[in-house]
Amino acid sequence: MRTAAEGALVEFRRVRRRRYVEELDVMEVLYRVYVGAIFAAIGLGLLAGAINEAPVSASALDRIRVHAPPIIGIAIALGLLAGLRSGSHGGPLAIEPAEVQYTLLAPLDRGTALRPAALAQLRIAAIGGAVSGAVVGNFVFRRFPGSPVEWIAGLALFGALVPVAVLGGALLASGRRLRPGLAAGAGSVLVLWSVADLAFGLTTSPATMLGELATLPLQHGARVALAAVGVVLALALFAGGLLGVGGILLEAARRRAALAAELRFSASVKDLRTVVLLRRQLASERPRRRPWVRLGAGERPIWRRGAQSLLRWPAVRVARALFLVIAAGALAVAAWRASIVIAALPGLLLFIAALDVVEPLAQEADHPTRSDLLPLDTGLLFRRHLLVPTAGLTLLVLVAAVAAAVVSGSAIALEVGVVAALPTGFLLACCAAFSATNDPYEYILSPQIGNAVQWGPVIVAVVAVGVPIVAARAVWLHGGQPLSATLPIELLALGGAAIAASVIGERMARRAAEGR
Amino acid sequence: MSGGTNSGGVAELGRAAQAPLLRARGLGRSYDDFVALTNLSLEVGGGELIALVGPNGAGKTTFLTLAAGLLEPTSGAVEIDGAPAGSIPARRALSYVPDTPVFYEDVSLGEQLGYVAALHGVERIEERIAFLLERLGLAEWEDALPGEFSRGMRQKASIALGLVRPFSLLLADEPLDGLDPPSREVFFELVAEARAAGAAVVISTHRPDVIAAASRCLGIREGRLVYDGAPDPAAIEEFFEYTVADRAAADER
Repeated sequence: MRTAAEGALVEFRRVRRRRYVEELDVMEVLYRVYVGAIFAAIGLGLLAGAINEAPVSASALDRIRVHAPPIIGIAIALGLLAGLRSGSHGGPLAIEPAEVQYTLLAPLDRGTALRPAALAQLRIAAIGGAVSGAVVGNFVFRRFPGSPVEWIAGLALFGALVPVAVLGGALLASGRRLRPGLAAGAGSVLVLWSVADLAFGLTTSPATMLGELATLPLQHGARVALAAVGVVLALALFAGGLLGVGGILLEAARRRAALAAELRFSASVKDLRTVVLLRRQLASERPRRRPWVRLGAGERPIWRRGAQSLLRWPAVRVARALFLVIAAGALAVAAWRASIVIAALPGLLLFIAALDVVEPLAQEADHPTRSDLLPLDTGLLFRRHLLVPTAGLTLLVLVAAVAAAVVSGSAIALEVGVVAALPTGFLLACCAAFSATNDPYEYILSPQIGNAVQWGPVIVAVVAVGVPIVAARAVWLHGGQPLSATLPIELLALGGAAIAASVIGERMARRAAEGR
Repeated sequence: MSGGTNSGGVAELGRAAQAPLLRARGLGRSYDDFVALTNLSLEVGGGELIALVGPNGAGKTTFLTLAAGLLEPTSGAVEIDGAPAGSIPARRALSYVPDTPVFYEDVSLGEQLGYVAALHGVERIEERIAFLLERLGLAEWEDALPGEFSRGMRQKASIALGLVRPFSLLLADEPLDGLDPPSREVFFELVAEARAAGAAVVISTHRPDVIAAASRCLGIREGRLVYDGAPDPAAIEEFFEYTVADRAAADER
């Protein structure tokens, strides 16, 4: 039986939804769907052409059957860790400030008020996941035994269930008011559990069980039953989260509501720097009060300031950067062995890591009045600010190379990584610096130029990391030395980075002169 | 609650006659090392108009949001009309007007008022809305979206949203900011009507006219309750002088 307050809530939402639909420009929506479908078809066509369709060997199949579920399980467990952390900070729902002020402060069950929003978020995530899973399934069945229907349906189900589990974990952490430390601890246990499964060739972790679902056409017997258990656990997690959603902390919901609104706006104007800052606030990610290593007094204040910034990184940012670069290394191996199309991904991950590493330079750009007061040429100031991020990113590229060497069991990755580390680190620092110092409103009347300026650094980073991998592989396939292909490319990258650093200095000096 | 076409009110909430409308015991709130409020204990009874004063950052808004159930205490507890803050009975009894007006930006003022009134079970919603909009000079803006409002109008609309529903305790965070003198007069009239109906009103303020109209004054400084008494001008002045002198000394340090 619905109370009067619940009736008012349902009616109010119905009116708002109807108004929203009335104000939608149907032709605009259809046009967007039409353009999206064309680009998706072209993308899938290119992907299909680039992917090796030769059947996987029997020995490789055995390895995949045993190792793929726990590896996928580790990825799922990392997603659950992120979900639990988000929930402990008030996520995953982004509630309007007015909903908090009027609906959640009204005398009605908060679960009733919040469940529709949680279900809507689930619907979008599950549909997106299912479509992505089906697309992957469409490529996978060409190389693996099993019918197309089995692979496409299995991976669509898997793709839908992973976001269900992650959202469920986040809702559970939010509704049960888990402390961030406890949420991180629970998530880490899940990750380690799947790591243990990988090490011992077992399927005991709930995340590994869900991982079995991703390779279902290859499995039989007990593993199929374990996959079914994984499905049940994912659904149970979401049901538990949905039931407890009313326990959300209002202070976290209010803070998140304000930040999420700003984040959406910043994303809509492609203000990447603000997105980075707001995302950190959403995750309550603050610099350490005590640095990892305390630097004594000394000269070279700009470099010291940069080093101090990196030495105050919170543990979660260190872990995220390591995860990104290790994943980049693993993806480079996947590009080498499975499909060269994947070579586009390591650069993207390293660019995301670089956005954190250029923080000292970005902060200088955030506060132009402060830098204007320094007795130093602004261009020189920003060029000097590139040194510490370059050093940091060089180190991260080396970590990625080590990860690739460990995953591949080959020294080639290490050789290429050592040669590429400095030029790639320098170029990534410049790309991230360009992105962090972009003015999102500079080209507001010329969106095409604005898009080029915003996406340019991302594309350069993807190319700078991907091209050496592609070139080294091509030479290696023809019996040559991979380094012979990498070296000239890295020299070019170094030259390009030097020019980019100079351009960044000029850009900031011009802005200072214009008083912006 | 307030008069006119009021369809809510203290009597309808059925509260116990003797229970204080607000009771805080050892209330505290910290953010890591920063103590926003500490060991605050007080009671507020029906019919009181309380001016909550103190310098910026003293902890006034923290206290109000703790009482409203928007913030969780790190120590102590608050009860609203005998129920824990944030519980359904407490939400039924308490109305909170925030320092920054909050609206559904895609819904007209009239629709928002209707929604809030319906959530709280107001019976003659149309009459209640018309009464409040008329009194606050917003009658012509009933069908307008919040984006069309000036700052003062947003403040008045926020007050209307706080008053459209029944309550026995009204918490208002600097509600007179941006209001013109006639609107301030109307606000005082509406508050007087609410008090006459037995409700208590707590207003966070820096304004002498609110302090002058209050029946009691609470002074908070650096998270502590340092004054609880009559709004005696000499005592308040002493409190503020102390605060100012303290601030100046802190700044020098």
